[in-house]
Amino acid sequence: MTPTMLRFAGLLGMVFLLVFPLLYTGSNYSFIMHLWITAFFYAILASSWALLAGYAGQFSFCHMAFMAIGGYTTGLFNNYLYFSNTPTTTCTEFAIGDRWLVVLDPIGVAASPRTCLDAAHSAWAEAGIAGEVLIGQPSLWFGIGLGVIMGGVFGLLIGALVLRLRTVYLALFTVGFSEILRAVISAEIAVTRGQAGLELSPLFPDGITLFGTYFAATHKLPPYYLMLGLFLLCLAIMGLLVRSRFGLFIRALREDEDAAQALAVNTVRYKILVFVITSMMAAAAGAVQAHYVGIITPNILIILQMSLVIAMAVIGGLESIVAAAIGAIVIQFALELLRTSFDIGPWTIDMSVWRLVFFGLLLMLTLRFFRNGLIFSLILKVERDAVAKETVSKRQAAAEPKEID
Amino acid sequence: MIQLEVTDLHKRFGGLHVLRGVTFTVQGPELIGLIGPNGAGKTTLTNILDGAIKPSSGTVHLNGQRIDHLPPYRVTQTGVGRTFQVTRAFRRMTVLENLYVPALAMNPGARAKQYHAKAMEVLEFLTIDHLRNEYGRALSGGQQKLLELGRLLMLDPDIFILDEPFAGVHPKLMEIIYRFIQHVNDQGKAIILISHQMESIFTLCRRLLVLNYGDLIADGDPQTVKRDPAVIEAYLGEDEDQSGVGLVTEKGT
Repeated sequence: MTPTMLRFAGLLGMVFLLVFPLLYTGSNYSFIMHLWITAFFYAILASSWALLAGYAGQFSFCHMAFMAIGGYTTGLFNNYLYFSNTPTTTCTEFAIGDRWLVVLDPIGVAASPRTCLDAAHSAWAEAGIAGEVLIGQPSLWFGIGLGVIMGGVFGLLIGALVLRLRTVYLALFTVGFSEILRAVISAEIAVTRGQAGLELSPLFPDGITLFGTYFAATHKLPPYYLMLGLFLLCLAIMGLLVRSRFGLFIRALREDEDAAQALAVNTVRYKILVFVITSMMAAAAGAVQAHYVGIITPNILIILQMSLVIAMAVIGGLESIVAAAIGAIVIQFALELLRTSFDIGPWTIDMSVWRLVFFGLLLMLTLRFFRNGLIFSLILKVERDAVAKETVSKRQAAAEPKEID
Repeated sequence: MIQLEVTDLHKRFGGLHVLRGVTFTVQGPELIGLIGPNGAGKTTLTNILDGAIKPSSGTVHLNGQRIDHLPPYRVTQTGVGRTFQVTRAFRRMTVLENLYVPALAMNPGARAKQYHAKAMEVLEFLTIDHLRNEYGRALSGGQQKLLELGRLLMLDPDIFILDEPFAGVHPKLMEIIYRFIQHVNDQGKAIILISHQMESIFTLCRRLLVLNYGDLIADGDPQTVKRDPAVIEAYLGEDEDQSGVGLVTEKGT
């Protein structure tokens, strides 16, 4: 096994992911595709968290909070904002040129809330101008974009606030932030619908035509390619970053912040930057996933969810974004496919519960025996073998008289 | 012409008055030894010079620019480079990557590849070129010291502050570090050398600064300083009882 073969394997894997939805024809197509989409979602989170924690050494526990910020931003955007050419007079609205930006009243948790928009519609009908009214929602892509921006804004804020915090203090601070956000979303029931969850329109509400074929709004193929595209985009950006001075400096920051400063590295800038970049990625994943699933609840913010992402990154390999991503995909599949219960003699092992036990054991064993993660350890072995050989051969060459070949 | 002006530096940590009005000037490529007993304030002075901590009062100017209030990375960019008493190699980065950090931090827009040749030259000079792709943590203590010196060569500051470069170093390595000091000094750089090894200090340095519990008690050529009664009493002399001296607390005074 050589580094070149590794790269070739990576390329093969990528091609496999690209053609899989076109070639797979199993009867459980939708289920398998759903697993892949969710796996990509977690892969984005785990790999961006690996950049933050593994490369830059910032053990943040609020990565899922940034994800939720992305999801809720687009969710609120999707539920509350309309554009109209006629003022509603019943809703909160702002004139923008000859258009009106309409903000709906809080929807609350009533089964079918009567919104200020319904009132406006009846008023328009009574006045006989319903035909002239043009009202519609801005494209959900603006909401997703706004979600990514909000992720960046909060990343900047948290990054600036934790500048002087290291290790345990950083972890506690970020847990605090995550919990506050969850509490706020849960408490603001009128706006966010609390535990009932905020509903979002599907990614492609009217369906979409790809490769000359029409796919309905519920078809899994378009979201598969969207999430895969986002995943590969994030990987590509992070791949470029870690190979640039950015990657060098955030690793120096992780190793020794004071020494990095003494070598002219502006550690403050890079610490904040890494927070901003990774939170934007988490927010992007969260925003797309929220539309894909169609509902978002504050439960995505529970510590268990964050732990899952951390465990994926750790088992894959914290110091490699690719290994963390592979770890996330493998574990996502393992967790889903290990749900089948089985019998050992008289005992029935309920795997829907026990899989988490096995998962926890795997995490503990990884931390004890493979601190670089299961997948990264393999990659590292291949790459470092070459280095070791080189060092040894250089030393021998220096020690021995030169032979004629 | 390199010019470092340190004027009336004071540093207090809570009740401790660690530096008490330190004033000196470095002019041109001087090779200065900074000595004094443990707790004299040598490392505190170093930390202020490289911007890691701010003085309670007083100023530091480098080549006419005031630097004592700048963030550490800006101070470094202005021209102060230092090593640490306990080596601080980036352990999970390769030797070459360790060298690229200062080179890229000093040159925005540059790429690591452009510094490969220079880095190899530095590693050959320090005799650790065969380790270029090994992780920092794989290096021995002495090799890590050399790696730190290599990073300084890549940084190429005006003033090199070397904090205890000879501590726990065997003679062969000592020779390389001597050569390093001569080399950068020949290139017109100023060096402030902190060490407890009097032999090295007297061999290398042409000027000595002696700190004693926050006071600069001597500043001059080594032979004169050697005979200074205050220095003999505070540091060079035999078994003088120094307990308690300098640990003057501000409370109750």
